[in-house]
Amino acid sequence: MIDRLLNIDRRIVFLFIFVGVASAMLFRLPLPITPRPDVVSVYEGIDAVKGRPGGTVLLSFDYGPGSEPELQPTAINIMRQCFQNNVRVVGMALWPDAVGLARAAFDSASRACGKEYKKDWTFLGYKPGMETLIINMGQDFKSAFGQDYLGTDTNEMEVTRDITKLGDFDYVVTLAAGRTIDGVWITYAVDRYSVKLGGAVTAVMSPDMFPYLQSRQLKGLVSGLAGAAEYEKLVNVSGSATRGMQPQSVAHAIIIFFILIGNVMYFLQRRRDRLASPSGVASPSRFANPSGSRG
Amino acid sequence: MIFLKRTLPLIIAFVIGIIAIAIYYIPHQTAQNLQETLARWNRIIASFAFLLGVYSLMHLHAQRIKRQQAGWGYSLFVYLGFAMMLIAAIYNRGNGPLAGQADGGAYDWLYYNVFVPADASMFAMLAFFIASAAYRTFRARTIEAVILLVAAVVVMLGRVPIGELLWSRMPDLQEWLMSVPNMAAKRGILLGVYLGAVATALRIIFGIERSYLGGTEE
Repeated sequence: MIDRLLNIDRRIVFLFIFVGVASAMLFRLPLPITPRPDVVSVYEGIDAVKGRPGGTVLLSFDYGPGSEPELQPTAINIMRQCFQNNVRVVGMALWPDAVGLARAAFDSASRACGKEYKKDWTFLGYKPGMETLIINMGQDFKSAFGQDYLGTDTNEMEVTRDITKLGDFDYVVTLAAGRTIDGVWITYAVDRYSVKLGGAVTAVMSPDMFPYLQSRQLKGLVSGLAGAAEYEKLVNVSGSATRGMQPQSVAHAIIIFFILIGNVMYFLQRRRDRLASPSGVASPSRFANPSGSRG
Repeated sequence: MIFLKRTLPLIIAFVIGIIAIAIYYIPHQTAQNLQETLARWNRIIASFAFLLGVYSLMHLHAQRIKRQQAGWGYSLFVYLGFAMMLIAAIYNRGNGPLAGQADGGAYDWLYYNVFVPADASMFAMLAFFIASAAYRTFRARTIEAVILLVAAVVVMLGRVPIGELLWSRMPDLQEWLMSVPNMAAKRGILLGVYLGAVATALRIIFGIERSYLGGTEE
């Protein structure tokens, strides 16, 4: 029994996760969602732009479809917050595969809030170069982006007409699934051009961001699906991130359950072996790799 | 030939490297203009790197198909996917490749209905493998493993609402773990990484590190 529970077939673990996540999606549980200070900082940073003449927020879409569930809700909610407060939004992408996601987010938020392309928002599209693109934007925004994604001249659009350099944006949010946030935005946009930067990152990246939060190079952080759900709470929306908290909570609980089973059985096995051994010491070699481990 | 293959690239790396570092600290307009020009050059060169990437990918999969290596059938799908996306992007609902991408065309359809779900599904499968791997590897064999195990459980619970439901201070404990011990370790790692990056950059600029030239070092 102990050995069986110590070496549960991975397909059983997969089945538990599948059933747990699927059933959590079917039922609605009243789970508490409390926005953390880092998430509130992003919200307040954008809220502070409200009422400024020509107030404009730049959103950088630096993620692909794999991170869509975690980052897309935040992108849409930030846009909605801006549009509801008559703050203009300009989008760009440092990842080529983010272009379609950015367009979908702009379509959804602008339609919901009745905002006009060129006047209230535009999407500049993807350009290569990463760091050098930011340097170009910092020196001369129009030379970096002479046209938007649809080919409209940035000098002609009301939303970008008065933007001459990166520092003219009142707030910048990078939605990042890779190293663009610290390798590009913090290093160049913040340290060189004194841009106010907020971040939205995947949960796996958030531990890397804490040094920048403490140094205030990053003004706020929305991390992972949990952060996205907290942002939804701040903007009074119950969207996909809030709904996603249920399956995520259940998945975490199942993982912890299996970790506990594994450890309890490990100690029981060790105790059993110690009692069975004439010297009273369990052989360490048995525990070196009890699973013969395959992920 | 040695001059073109080795000496000239070393001279270019040295001159451009020194200029790029110097202009970062010179606030004069001329230096700023030069920096902007260099940045633009870099972006143009980066665009050509895409062509190199495409060639490399296609060449690799062509070799696999030619040699009929294990899984060579998947390589056909690389060609199929690449050709379909390329044709759809160039056709652009009849507007041609020079116009902005039109909404609702074949390119959009492929992106939203094939690429997005396929990429998202790949990441979604991670949840299953992480669960299995966590069960097998998180064993409290040593005191360090116990610390790691407890920290992992606190963070896993503290990051989701169910943690707050179990104990109202769980998110605070998770936050403390992330912003104190985690941050201290991360800061140390980052300092080491960036000092290493500075050292490597200086080695390249001064011609000590030459592996980027290809071939063997002499």
